[in-house]
Amino acid sequence: MGLAGAEMIGWPRLSYKTMTKRILLLPAAVWTLLFTVFPFVYTLWISTQRIRLGRPGYFVGMENFAKAFADYKLSESALGTILFIAVAVPLELILGFAFALLFNRDFRGQGVLRAIMTMPLFATPVGVAYLFTTILYEEGGLVNSLLAPLGWHPPWLSNPFWARLSVLLVDVWQWTPFCFLVFLAGLQGLPQEVLEAASLDVVKNRQIVTQVVLPMMAPLIRLVLLLRFIEAAKVFDTPFVLTSGGPGRSTEVYSLYTFRVGLRFFDLGYAAALSLLLLVAVMIVANLLFRGTREMYD
Amino acid sequence: MQSHKRLTLLVWVVLATLAMAVSVHAASDLVPIKNLSGDTVYVPKSDLGTIITDGKKPFAGKTITITVNVAGPKGPIEGPLHEWRKPWEELTGGKVNIVGIPYAEHYSKAMTDLLTGTGQYDIFMAGADWYGDLIAGNYIIPIDKYLNDPRFPKWDRSAMPLSQVALHTWQGHWYGVLNDSDGQVLYYRRDILTNASYRQRFKAKYGYDLPVPPKTWEQVRDIAEFFNGWDWNGDGEPDSGMVMHLKVGGQGMFHYASLSAPFVLFPGPTVDRYHNVYWFDPENMNPLINSPGHVRALELLLQLAKFGPSAQLSWDLGEAWDYFMRGKAVLTFSWGDVGGLVQEPGRSVIKGKLGTAMLPGTLEVWDREHNRWVKFDSPNVVGNTTGGSWHGVISALSKNPEVAYHFLAFLAMTPISQWHAYRGWDGVDPGTRHHFLAPQGDAKLEDYVAQGWNAEDVREYTQAYYETFFAERQLPYLRIPGGHEYWVSLDQHISEALTGAVSAKEALDRTARDWDEITNRLGRREQLELYRQSIGYGKPYQEAMGGK
Repeated sequence: MGLAGAEMIGWPRLSYKTMTKRILLLPAAVWTLLFTVFPFVYTLWISTQRIRLGRPGYFVGMENFAKAFADYKLSESALGTILFIAVAVPLELILGFAFALLFNRDFRGQGVLRAIMTMPLFATPVGVAYLFTTILYEEGGLVNSLLAPLGWHPPWLSNPFWARLSVLLVDVWQWTPFCFLVFLAGLQGLPQEVLEAASLDVVKNRQIVTQVVLPMMAPLIRLVLLLRFIEAAKVFDTPFVLTSGGPGRSTEVYSLYTFRVGLRFFDLGYAAALSLLLLVAVMIVANLLFRGTREMYD
Repeated sequence: MQSHKRLTLLVWVVLATLAMAVSVHAASDLVPIKNLSGDTVYVPKSDLGTIITDGKKPFAGKTITITVNVAGPKGPIEGPLHEWRKPWEELTGGKVNIVGIPYAEHYSKAMTDLLTGTGQYDIFMAGADWYGDLIAGNYIIPIDKYLNDPRFPKWDRSAMPLSQVALHTWQGHWYGVLNDSDGQVLYYRRDILTNASYRQRFKAKYGYDLPVPPKTWEQVRDIAEFFNGWDWNGDGEPDSGMVMHLKVGGQGMFHYASLSAPFVLFPGPTVDRYHNVYWFDPENMNPLINSPGHVRALELLLQLAKFGPSAQLSWDLGEAWDYFMRGKAVLTFSWGDVGGLVQEPGRSVIKGKLGTAMLPGTLEVWDREHNRWVKFDSPNVVGNTTGGSWHGVISALSKNPEVAYHFLAFLAMTPISQWHAYRGWDGVDPGTRHHFLAPQGDAKLEDYVAQGWNAEDVREYTQAYYETFFAERQLPYLRIPGGHEYWVSLDQHISEALTGAVSAKEALDRTARDWDEITNRLGRREQLELYRQSIGYGKPYQEAMGGK
């Protein structure tokens, strides 16, 4: 006769306590299986198929993946996305950090300003993109009306370079507050005695920032970089609403191209392959960043 | 004598009574149907179908769900569904659930429902360009068996032009029910093009009289160039020659298709390899999109784009139309919506100044058979049904196909269909003889004017559409699987050319390469078979167009 709460039941023979734990974990496990593992496995399976509307699909093995490497549209979209990440993410981090430094001191109206600063964070990306469609409207939109007296009339959405810039600006506007908020929390969590000691040793504020604050904040910066990288790699809403990927294909980012292939042209097998390729690419980079962060903490 | 008089009087009384009875009977034969806007149309009882007129409500407890491009109860295409839903429900006992879906999502949502076998929707207010995918997958049902069934409302197929019949049928079978009729026409400022001073200056510059309306695309080019970049409307700002909607996803490629048709479509008595074909070579499915006719047409489009606001490269329909209605451009070419919207005083400043004409032609046409340009004595003019011609088709997964058809047929009855055309704002554009004025049709000018149209505007407008839809030669409609993908590719590459990233030739070469890839992926043999079916390959031209 075992102790209460530890009697053996079922097969394989498990303790009552273990059984209870497993039963309590079951909903989470089912949830994960249903909404994470199953879609992933299903996507893997779909990526090996040729699916055509109204006609029987068939197995094509790795053909969809091979096709991806010969697809000039994919190359252009991937290149555009890399460019977007390379510019938007550093810009958001730099601006976010600069604003955090600015707000990391007492001044009047700080609370109100901080609230205003973080507002873009709570808007839906699609809504923001629609908002900027009107702001950047070339014939009498807000920005061009303000620039008109200067004789300047940027073709925000009708020129490939400016359209890319517009998508970038919207993203920076929306996500800089996120970086700002995290960095501000980080700065306010720094040990004050270290900073005070540094201010006695070092003359210039810039040196305190570069030689003391930045190294202490490095793990947090890497973490924000990781999060923003993952999000930026999946950017979709802004170009979808603001430019529809145009003019031409200048703002057709990777996710938008994948979306079109899958849900516009119903080439679901190829779209699944593209999704998996993006997943792999993001995971590799994220892993490298994460490993670096972990080493820092260690 | 007295008795004779009495007899005569009695005869007159009897005759008068009979006449009154006949007129009362005739009046009672018309059923009043009041819509959401409060307008009443009168429908002959015999046209309503026995399901309604026998007083029963056989659809009680049945609900049909219909998808449509979202626009709200007063918006285009969706609006009319709301207008007539309640009266139909009262007459039949059925219920209609209207699901508005954004234009960009509509096709995907519908196809997802069909592909997965969900069967959530009974009716799709589909674009005619969906047919290739819908037919290939057997996703919609033919409606032939309902057409002459006395139980259902009557609508007049014989009044439709062959060009529209072709969009609602496949291989001789009807699938779609008449609703909207899309096609592009040329809109111009009548007051500006007839201005004596401007005409004098135009002649001095170009050496010929300013044609009203222009008959060739070259003339359109000259007019657009002449009027671009100076203040011809007196508002103190420079104005434009031409405005278009050229945003990727903004249906700019339809501009190109309408414009290029006369350059490419070489006339002939049959639909064969070299005559009356536009999209693909019907022998091998090779794209024709980068042939010299197409290239020249795109070069012209690029020139026209320079004679308008640079922002139009990022403009959707509404923005381009708005620019024209604000009196900022002298020309545009687009769908029938423009004619109706121009009549709205709050939105337009050009009511009463709108000229409309069938799209121009060209005097030189590319002959693929002999690889040369052929000069014509008179312009090669081609009608078009470019656009969605949004109309109802019934899902093969519908559990209530009869209810679905009944509702669609109800909307297509002549008095209701005419009301849509008269109304103007509802996106249901004119396309049958019942929408055109005498002598071509039986619509009444006073009915258009009563709905706010300017008489001269509507005369030209309906005439232009009559000529467009009943034109002897028509731009073939792309109705094969992957149609949407072919269009998107063309759209993107035209946009690349418009931004100057590539030349017209390079843009169309890229399009051709994409099209080949799409064709190969979907199966060249199957695609060729469906393409041939869709254009009536090998048939005499009129027969291929749906005529007998």
